[in-house]
Amino acid sequence: MGIDIANYHGWHGELSRPARGVFSIVRVALLQVLRQKTYWLLLALGLAQFILFWSVIYAVTQLELPQDAKQTILREFGFSAQTDEKRDNGYMVFMERQSVVVMILLAFSGSLLVGADFRQRTLPFYLSRRIGKRHYIIGKLLAVSSLILILTVIPALALFIEYGALTTGLTYWLENWRIAAAVLTYGAVLCLANSVWLVSLSAYLQRAAPIAITWSSLLIMPGRLGEFLWKASDNEYWRLLDPWRDMRLAGQLFFGKFRKDFDKGLAWWALALITGITVVALLALVRRVRAVDIVE
Amino acid sequence: MWSIVLLDVQKLSRTFGRVQALREVTLRLETGTVGLVGNNGAGKSTLLKILLGLLPASSGSGTILGCDIRHTGLKLRARIGYMPEVAATVPLLKGVEYVALSGDLYGMPYRDARRRAHEVLNYVGLGELRYRRLDEYSTGNLQRLKLAAALVHDPELLLLDEPTNGLDPAGRQSMLLLLEDLIAETGKSLILCTHVLKDVEQLCRQVVVLDRGTVAKSGTIEELTRAADNRFEIQWRDTGSNFLQRFRESGGSVLREDNPSEATALVALPETWGPRQLFELAAGCGTVITRLREDDENLERLFLRLTATPEKDTVMS
Repeated sequence: MGIDIANYHGWHGELSRPARGVFSIVRVALLQVLRQKTYWLLLALGLAQFILFWSVIYAVTQLELPQDAKQTILREFGFSAQTDEKRDNGYMVFMERQSVVVMILLAFSGSLLVGADFRQRTLPFYLSRRIGKRHYIIGKLLAVSSLILILTVIPALALFIEYGALTTGLTYWLENWRIAAAVLTYGAVLCLANSVWLVSLSAYLQRAAPIAITWSSLLIMPGRLGEFLWKASDNEYWRLLDPWRDMRLAGQLFFGKFRKDFDKGLAWWALALITGITVVALLALVRRVRAVDIVE
Repeated sequence: MWSIVLLDVQKLSRTFGRVQALREVTLRLETGTVGLVGNNGAGKSTLLKILLGLLPASSGSGTILGCDIRHTGLKLRARIGYMPEVAATVPLLKGVEYVALSGDLYGMPYRDARRRAHEVLNYVGLGELRYRRLDEYSTGNLQRLKLAAALVHDPELLLLDEPTNGLDPAGRQSMLLLLEDLIAETGKSLILCTHVLKDVEQLCRQVVVLDRGTVAKSGTIEELTRAADNRFEIQWRDTGSNFLQRFRESGGSVLREDNPSEATALVALPETWGPRQLFELAAGCGTVITRLREDDENLERLFLRLTATPEKDTVMS
């Protein structure tokens, strides 16, 4: 295998700004996830849930359903046939349920998207090109955020569009613009918090099994502990230990629909806690990436 | 001879806490091929990081490819192609995607990066393997792939970190021939950072020997090995006279004195001396020189001599 120098052409184009490298990192990360066939199962699960909600909206808006069926749909999925129904929170319910799929997908993809860069020492490849460490970090955060967006925010907005299209159209969308805004802000919190937490955790643990176990434990164990302490002390604030519930509370805050009145007071605390953990995780991530020796 | 300065640094130092990785390194290298050698901890990695703009120098100044090393970071990397020592592969990617990603990260336009990825993979002889996943590449092919990734944006300078690491003799030779052709045909400069001194001898015109953060020696290999011209390995029949003592007094130096019972030594003659003067001195001492052989110092021996520590000498003896 000799060099084919006869066809060597120099390249004299102009290089663009390093920030563009961020999008290359995102594109490659999504390609990696799509290449992993086992992840298709989780993506299919998310798609199935989306189709279910799509069908529910179609059913409540287009079909003549018995009253008890409508009540069941409202209870289970949060959608009612009346577009001015104040209890409508179907989009929030959808995003919460999709979060389960997202959490599982993230638990397994952290190793592929970030852990491998440290484990297989791919980081020197990225950082010795024309990008800085901040570009790498932003790229990876955006990559994880893209997965969350694809599974939660975009389908939720699609449902919002569907509901309007099947009911009063523009009137619905204009009157309920706050729902779309809530989807976007709740989505932003999900993206920011989950991506920082996952990328940070993956940078330290690197291998799939430890990441998956720790990720799941962090989302379940503190919640169990919080519930135990809440029951033991009758202090609702202990429930803030549950990060997953904190996310849901943040969602309820943005949608303005709380399942319990007391949750209204907790929601801001939940948001503050999420912010605090995210800042700490981000600092840890920056520290971890900065510690990498590009030239060994 | 017409030449351009590749690297010109003055009193470059870098400290990490109390550890001084580089101490007032002053270097001036011409464009072309340069071998950067040194023991572990000699400061090679630190120097590479500074050259790549990944690390600021604690003090000192200089230019690489005419750019000030203190302010050029990302700008500098646009003109340098770096091939890391480690595998550094991205899981689940194909060869051509990996090289195109490298182009993207250098800032090449999307289409150009892809077109150029195909081109450079052909250049390095991986044209037929470009659609294979990276985990299917052999070590030799991975090294070529990393070279393609470093070449994709057509840099002026290639910075290769142990490019023959992990290769069998045939693979190593193949890689070196590839690099030789590339340098000869494209006229790119190359800094080769390696522990394999034979690679440096085969590929590089200039060499920099780093030792404990300082430049122990730098120059063309020809110059550095020519300096050994006046060195001889001698054996003599000892008649009781103190031949070596007299030799030292005459301005010669004894670089290595073997077991006295064998009466052999490696000596450097005074500058104006030739073998004739040595024989005359020996005759004057009543000593008969039974063997005189020019010291054929190669880069490896030069390196060992320059980087030898007292502790190592003790171990060797």
